[in-house]
Amino acid sequence: MALRDVSLRIEGGLTVVAGHSGGGKSSLLRVFNGLVPHFHGGRISGRAEVGGHDILETPTRILARTVGFVFQDPELQTVYATVDREVAFGLENAAVPAAEIPARVEEALEEAGIGHLAGRPTSTLSGGERQRVALASALAVKPQLVVLDEPTSQLDPDGAALVLAAARRIAAQGRSVIVSEHRLHALMGAADQLVVVEDGAVAVIDPRGWRAPQFSAPPRHREQAGGDVICAGAAAAGFDGRPLLERIDLVVRSGEVVALMGPNGGGKTTLLRLLAGLLSPMAGTVERLPGRIAYLPQNPAALLHRPTVRDEVQFTIDRSGDHGEPGAILAELSLQHVAGRYPRDLSSGERQRAAVAAVLPGTPRLVLLDEPTRGMDAGARDALVRLIVRLRDGGSAIVVATHDAELRAAVADRVLTVAGGTVAPAAVEAARG
Amino acid sequence: MAAWTAACLFIVLFTTNPAYKALVLAAAIITLAAGAGLRRIRKLLFAVALVAAFAALLNFVSAHLGATVLFSLPATIPAIGGPFTLEALAFGLTGGVTIGAAILAAAPLSLLLSAHDVVDALPRAMSRSGAAIAASLNLVPAVGATFVQVSEAQRMRGWRPRGPRSWAEVVVPVVLTSVESSIQLAESMEARGFGSGTRTYVKPARMRGGDWLVTGAAAGAAILFGISTAAGWAAPWYAYPTLVPPQVDLRPLAACLLLCAPVLVWRARR
Repeated sequence: MALRDVSLRIEGGLTVVAGHSGGGKSSLLRVFNGLVPHFHGGRISGRAEVGGHDILETPTRILARTVGFVFQDPELQTVYATVDREVAFGLENAAVPAAEIPARVEEALEEAGIGHLAGRPTSTLSGGERQRVALASALAVKPQLVVLDEPTSQLDPDGAALVLAAARRIAAQGRSVIVSEHRLHALMGAADQLVVVEDGAVAVIDPRGWRAPQFSAPPRHREQAGGDVICAGAAAAGFDGRPLLERIDLVVRSGEVVALMGPNGGGKTTLLRLLAGLLSPMAGTVERLPGRIAYLPQNPAALLHRPTVRDEVQFTIDRSGDHGEPGAILAELSLQHVAGRYPRDLSSGERQRAAVAAVLPGTPRLVLLDEPTRGMDAGARDALVRLIVRLRDGGSAIVVATHDAELRAAVADRVLTVAGGTVAPAAVEAARG
Repeated sequence: MAAWTAACLFIVLFTTNPAYKALVLAAAIITLAAGAGLRRIRKLLFAVALVAAFAALLNFVSAHLGATVLFSLPATIPAIGGPFTLEALAFGLTGGVTIGAAILAAAPLSLLLSAHDVVDALPRAMSRSGAAIAASLNLVPAVGATFVQVSEAQRMRGWRPRGPRSWAEVVVPVVLTSVESSIQLAESMEARGFGSGTRTYVKPARMRGGDWLVTGAAAGAAILFGISTAAGWAAPWYAYPTLVPPQVDLRPLAACLLLCAPVLVWRARR
C-alpha cells in the first residue's frame, strides 16, 4: 500500500512535503491533481477533494484548471519550441480566448520571475530556466493550488535557488503552493506547514520545530594517498573538433577523493568521460593504471535494464571478474528491501541508489561518479558517504562531480572547479557551498 | 516559404523549356545559399548534381532518338547499343535540371525551418494533433543521447559488442528509457489539461513584412508564368527530332526572376 490513513487539509501558503525516497511523497502529490488514480492507476478508498472537486470523480485534465503541477525532470515537460507558446499551452487546453492569452502569458512569466525569457527557444534554456518556465506554465491558468515535485533535484545550486525563490514568492502572494524537497533548509524558513511522508504514513508537523539533519562525515582512516592512478597532462576534450576543456593537468592518486564542482554545462561530465576513456583527448595525454573503472553516469536509467536490482549488481560482478555477491553492497546502501524488485519501478532516489550499487561492487581501481546524490534523501546520502570512504580506504582513486556541497565537505580531499573551459582548484568558500 | 516552394515546383514541372527550368534552379540555389549559407548546402548541392548527372546519363545511353548522332555503339549490345545523339543528351540534361530544381525548391522546408515551425504552420483545426506532434518531436534528440549514455555505461560495466544478441543489453535500456520518457511527457501534458475538450489556439507565426514579400513574389511568379503559358509567351521546347535552342520571352523570364525575392529577406535574417 503506497499511502494509508491519510488525513490532510492544505490551506494557503507554502506546504513542504518531506520524507525518505520511496516513502510515498510522489504518490501523495499525484493525488492532488488526480494523476493517481486516473493516469497511474491504483485504488483510493476514502474521500479526496481539491478546490471543491471530487478527485476520484474528476479527470486530471479537468483538475488541471485547479491544480498546476511541476515535475522533476525539466526536459520531459516541454511541448513547444518557444517560451511564450509553452506557457500558453495550458491556456489553450483550458480554452481561454486566444485574444486573452498573450497578456496571461506575460503575467505568468512575470509572476515566475522570468519575464526576460519571453520569446526564447526552449531548446536554449538551462534546467533551472526550464523549471521556471514550467512553473510559469502552471501559474498561467491561475490554479488554486501549485504542486512542485522535487523541482530542483536535477538543477545546479543557482538554478535550484531561483526555482525555490519563485515558489516562496508565489506562496507569499497568497497562493497555495506544495513543494516536495530533500534539501529542506532553503524552504523551511518560509514554510507554513510541513508534511512528512514515511513508509506510506503521513504526518503534519509544525515547521518551526524542524531542525536541519546533521550530515555525518565518517572519520578518515587514511591520511596519505598512494600512487598515481590517473594522470592527465595538458589534455583537451570536447566535441565536433571544438574543445570544451583545455590544458587539463590532473593527477588522482590511490586512496584520494577529488570533487568536481561548477555550473551545468561547464564540462564536469566531459572531464569524467575523458578520465574514463570514453572520450579520447584532443590534445595532451591521459594515462591510467590498469584495473577496473567504475563509472556512474548522470542518468541512472542509462544503467538499469535487468529484471531485479540484485541482477543489476550481479551483471557488473560477472563482467568485472571481481569475486563477491550482490548482498554486501545492497546492504551497504540499504537496498535489501528492494533487491528483488524491478529497478525501474523504484522511486527516483531508490533508482539512484540502485545505479550506485550496480556500478560499485568489488574494488574498482578508479571510481568516477556523476552527480551521485541526485534525488537522494539524507539517509541515502549518508550511506553513499560511507561507501565512498570505504572505497577510498581500500585504495580506490575517486572523482565525484557534484553540486552537493555537503557531500564535498564530507568526502573530498580536493575540490576542483570545472568552468570556462578550465579546471582549477576551487576557492574554499565556493567548495563549502 | 511553402508558397515559394509551390511556385518553384509549379514552374519547373509545368514548362518544358530548359531556359526557365535553369532559371528556377539558379533561383533555388542562390536562395538556399542566402538562407542557409553555401557551406551548409555544399553536400546537398553535390548530391543533387550527382542525381541530375545520373538522370542525364541514363537518358543519353538509353534513348537512341534524335537526328544529331554523336557516336554509335553496335546495336547488338543489349540496352545501350545504338546511336548516341545530341538530342538525347540535351533532353537528359533538361530532366536532370528538373529533378535538381525540384529537390532544391523543397529543401528550404527542412534546411531553413525546424519541424516545430512546420507544426506551428498547421491550420487551426489541427492544433491538437500539432501539439502532440510538437511534444513528441522534443523526444527525438533524447533518443540519440540516451543511446550514447547507455552504450557508454554498459561498456564501463564490461559489456562488449559480441554478435547481435549482445546488443540487447544496449537496445533494451534505450527502448525502455524512451518509453518512460514518452509516458512522463504524456503525464505532464495530461496534468496541463491536454485533451480536456475544445481548445483555443494561439497562432504563433505571424507573417512579417518579409514573409508577405516572399509570398507575394511567389504568387506573382506563378500567376505570371501561368498567363505566359496560356498566352503562348512561354514557348514549349522539344529536344526531338532535331535540337533547336529554346525560345526565351521577357515575361516568363521575369516570372522566374521573381523567385529570387527570398534572397532579400532570408539573407537579412541570417
